[in-house]
Amino acid sequence: MNLEAITITLNGREVSGQPGMTVLDLARESGVAVPTLCHDPHLDPVGACRICIVEDERSGALMASCVTPIAPGMVINTESPRVQERRKTIIKLMLASHPDSCLVCDKGNRCQLRKVASDIGVGLVEFQRIPQLATIEEVNPFIERDLSKCILCAKCIRACQELVGEGAIDYLGRGFASKPATLGDLPLEKSECTFCGTCVALCPTGAIMEKDKVYTGTTTTTVHTVCPFCGCGCGVYLEVKDNRLVRVRPDADSSLSRSTLCVKGSYGCDFVHSSDRLSSPMVKVNGNFGVVSWEEALGVVADAFKRIKETHGSSSLVVFGSSKCTNEENYLLQRFARCVLSTNNIDNGSRLYNAATHVGLWETVGCRGTTNSFDDLERSQVILVIGTDPTSSAPLVEYAIKRAVKRNGAKLLLIDPRQTKLVSWANLWLKPKVGTDVALINGMAKVIIDENMLDKECVAGKTTNLETLAKDLQEYTPGYVEKITGIPSDDICHAARFFAKAGRASIVYGDGITQNINGVGSVAALANLALMTGNIGDGRGGIYALQMENNAQGACDMGTLPDFLPGYQGVEDAQARKIFEARWGCQLPVGVGLTALEAISGAEEGKMRGMYIVGENPAVSFPNSNLVRQALESLDFLVVQDIFLTETAKLAKVVLPVASFAEKEGTFTNFDGTVQRIRKALEPFGNSLPDWEVILRLATTMNSSMPYSSPQEVMKEIAELVPLYQGVNYAKLDVKSYRLGKGQIASEKMKFSPVKYIPQPSPEDGYPLTLFVGTTLYQFGSGSRTLRASRLRKLLPEAFVELSKSDSRKLKVKDGDRVKVVSPTGEVAVLVRISDTLNQGMVFMPAFFPEGLVNGLFDIVLDPRTKAPALKTCQVRLERIEGDG
Amino acid sequence: MAKLKTKIKAEPSLAQIGKLVAEYRGQKWALIPLFQVMQDEFGYIPPESIDLIAKALGLFPVQVQGVISFYAQLYTKPQGRNVVRVCRGTACHVRGGKTILKLAKQYLGLEEGETTPDYEYTLETVACIGVCALAPNIVIGTTTYGHMNPKKVAQLLGERKGRE
Ligand code: SF4
Ligand code: SF4
Ligand code: SF4
Ligand code: FES
Ligand code: FES
Repeated sequence: MNLEAITITLNGREVSGQPGMTVLDLARESGVAVPTLCHDPHLDPVGACRICIVEDERSGALMASCVTPIAPGMVINTESPRVQERRKTIIKLMLASHPDSCLVCDKGNRCQLRKVASDIGVGLVEFQRIPQLATIEEVNPFIERDLSKCILCAKCIRACQELVGEGAIDYLGRGFASKPATLGDLPLEKSECTFCGTCVALCPTGAIMEKDKVYTGTTTTTVHTVCPFCGCGCGVYLEVKDNRLVRVRPDADSSLSRSTLCVKGSYGCDFVHSSDRLSSPMVKVNGNFGVVSWEEALGVVADAFKRIKETHGSSSLVVFGSSKCTNEENYLLQRFARCVLSTNNIDNGSRLYNAATHVGLWETVGCRGTTNSFDDLERSQVILVIGTDPTSSAPLVEYAIKRAVKRNGAKLLLIDPRQTKLVSWANLWLKPKVGTDVALINGMAKVIIDENMLDKECVAGKTTNLETLAKDLQEYTPGYVEKITGIPSDDICHAARFFAKAGRASIVYGDGITQNINGVGSVAALANLALMTGNIGDGRGGIYALQMENNAQGACDMGTLPDFLPGYQGVEDAQARKIFEARWGCQLPVGVGLTALEAISGAEEGKMRGMYIVGENPAVSFPNSNLVRQALESLDFLVVQDIFLTETAKLAKVVLPVASFAEKEGTFTNFDGTVQRIRKALEPFGNSLPDWEVILRLATTMNSSMPYSSPQEVMKEIAELVPLYQGVNYAKLDVKSYRLGKGQIASEKMKFSPVKYIPQPSPEDGYPLTLFVGTTLYQFGSGSRTLRASRLRKLLPEAFVELSKSDSRKLKVKDGDRVKVVSPTGEVAVLVRISDTLNQGMVFMPAFFPEGLVNGLFDIVLDPRTKAPALKTCQVRLERIEGDG
Repeated sequence: MAKLKTKIKAEPSLAQIGKLVAEYRGQKWALIPLFQVMQDEFGYIPPESIDLIAKALGLFPVQVQGVISFYAQLYTKPQGRNVVRVCRGTACHVRGGKTILKLAKQYLGLEEGETTPDYEYTLETVACIGVCALAPNIVIGTTTYGHMNPKKVAQLLGERKGRE
């Protein structure tokens, strides 16, 4: 549609804009500055502050430019004497009810009220001051409010309701007494607030402020980069002074996060200044670490690798890459493993949960990850969420789901045995028995086929194998599925219709799907559902595979995998081999390498001799952590490269200190395939070096230099040799992030893939409870970084297990009692928390407690296809610890 | 906003509230009418209803709270059968409104915003009710009593004191 442009006169000049633009939009586009306070491009306009008034010279009318659409023939003056006079009055009125604390206010010259006032030329205020509300007592470590500085612009309220979808605050009261308040006017920590920090970033004054900052002062440099925690890839600005982070604030222009962040991004990045940071390379002598120079440390590593390679062969060496490191670093690392160590024994931590996606989606829809863009998710009419609690594991995705529901009228179909926060947003909530997802999905697929709700065009034109699938689904009648899942057959039919009838239906899944024993099958079953309803690709719904870490997608894309060269080109693919061999001037190793857990088992058996672990903490994050630790200890040689002395690093012979995300250049690829630049804001801590530099130096020490001098050069090669990353370059990324394009979707026909429901092995007697392991909003992964963030740490509870009321009664335990959680593999002692989010028979523990606490309960049970471990649920029992409560 | 009756019933149960709210499910615009019906029915808007209303209408609970707090005529506590409003506008103030309020407090044994335990009286203040010529003014229910003085206040509310 090409709408006719509208021409108006603006300060004596003719300018034109599109219908629907406001006077403010057009003024800004034309380079005319108009002051604003309550306006924000991401929020619904309210026209509250009136500071943006302009005059229409035809009628003499003054109007708020941020809410006035342009109309043909307008003659707008943005600086007429009347406008200026009125703006002065408005500012004076605001200042009259504002405390005289500018000099000590931490908002400093970031205060927009102060800036607008001085631009307009208002200083002292002759109005009588109006008595003000007092500061609110808050005990949370993140945010404090002094509403005497509030100018009632409602940005915080709109941000919280429209962007974050939390709805923690709204106006309370009327007239002078009104202010943004929580339900019941309680402190933030007693409200729905999740401390995402969005309101803090958008408040134009010092009314809502960051609290308990580690370092204060006036920012001297600001650097744009990407949040280092989850796979959402929120854009952040790091504000720096004296080589210290002063503040992290959301990037308003990020196509993904649009001014929002979660508590980890906003208030968790100061782990980079933790006193636990490793500052020098260390070598262990007689059980004690001693500080050495880089040359010496790398010399020890190079010698050890050479010796092992000569005596035991390349296949006794293993490399772990990291889903937290950049694309460039992972690329270098796999080249190092393949060319210098001559082994395909390379893996990364995210494969443990991601492999199911790589295989399951590839074999059906021909994708290695999320099929559609993040934006598309918000446009969905139905969103099916299964096997994930995005509220804690992917907050940005949760915001988008809530926005879709609240603002676009999307319907949420939630499949989760736990009562998560999203339940209150769901139109339909199904609670299948643990481990029965595949049966449920198959049941829905059968209803869709039987009731002829297929997208015939898509099925006929783009897919194959429907007949086989239909035949295989015969047994999954609603009645049969009800028996397996415990979900009433009516609900199953209802859910199927609900999903099939939407024009755009999307599926969001997480590690609850991929980390089951049959992860690949579960993913494929979901893909069948999407395919038969045509929900793949542009203009339709999509499949969203959530990622736990910032660069989980990228690490796999870069080929830190035992079976793939970069870009999922098989290690046996002759053509790909030729290309890489020519470029790298080396002979690539033959045969698929060992996965991480196979390598661990190999170490235990004495077949693995040397290991190089970059940015992973398997001693905590892998199942059966006791066994993993023993295996690592039994190695001839272990070198760990990390920012902290993690539980894994403690077991190493050599520890190499590296730069944090804030101290280096590179790129991350988020869960929807968006590649973004990360940039250096701080000097590397102590003597640490960026991972990429360490890898290069190590290669040189081993007399196999790799010819790159910067991450940028590495990316240049990636873009040339990896079809998936074609077209990616720093110059482009500096202008705009880039979503990996069509390379993702296969050109051939997509294929339905029948999946059998495999009943969970019946639990051994004596372990009647199902343990779920998951994330919580305030901690991340194994906690190595968030436990060192000064404010997140304050919220750290003692290790606990949550259980339902009825189980607590049965076990005769109450809140705060100490119990033993016992699985066939291990046991841990923790506190009891009673929770109404759980059903009888379910217990929950967060994954982040250190010392491998939770993963010690899991045995190593591998998915038969991907050899990734099941790490989501296992059977346990609780034992009261006598003499306690 | 339309005038609201005030009447008293036993504290409504969640089920009663739920039944009323259910009729407005999904109708965001219906917030104010729902409040009116509720106040007609129960005499006030029970705070327990906020969550139910929010859920039914697709709003955040704070939004519901915000709207209630915006209208002086909406109550979150049960009101007395007789709502006594003493005018605190400027005209009434200069003609002794303050004393009138003090007397009303004494006779009723209430502070502003409070209700007698038998739900007979609620005491409130208002800003100018628009009949400044008659200042100082008291409004009881829907009737305005002008040219107030201590004697008249005693006549109007003194009986109450006797009963205490
Ligand atoms: S921090 Fe986030 S959740 Fe809390 S009030 Fe602000 S915007 Fe809402
Ligand atoms: S607290 Fe800040 S953002 Fe919120 S209404 Fe007041 S001035 Fe605006
Ligand atoms: S942890 Fe995830 S959701 Fe939170 S700010 Fe970082 S990228 Fe965004
Ligand atoms: S910026 Fe336009 S009214 Fe506030
Ligand atoms: S001031 Fe009391 S009626 Fe006007």
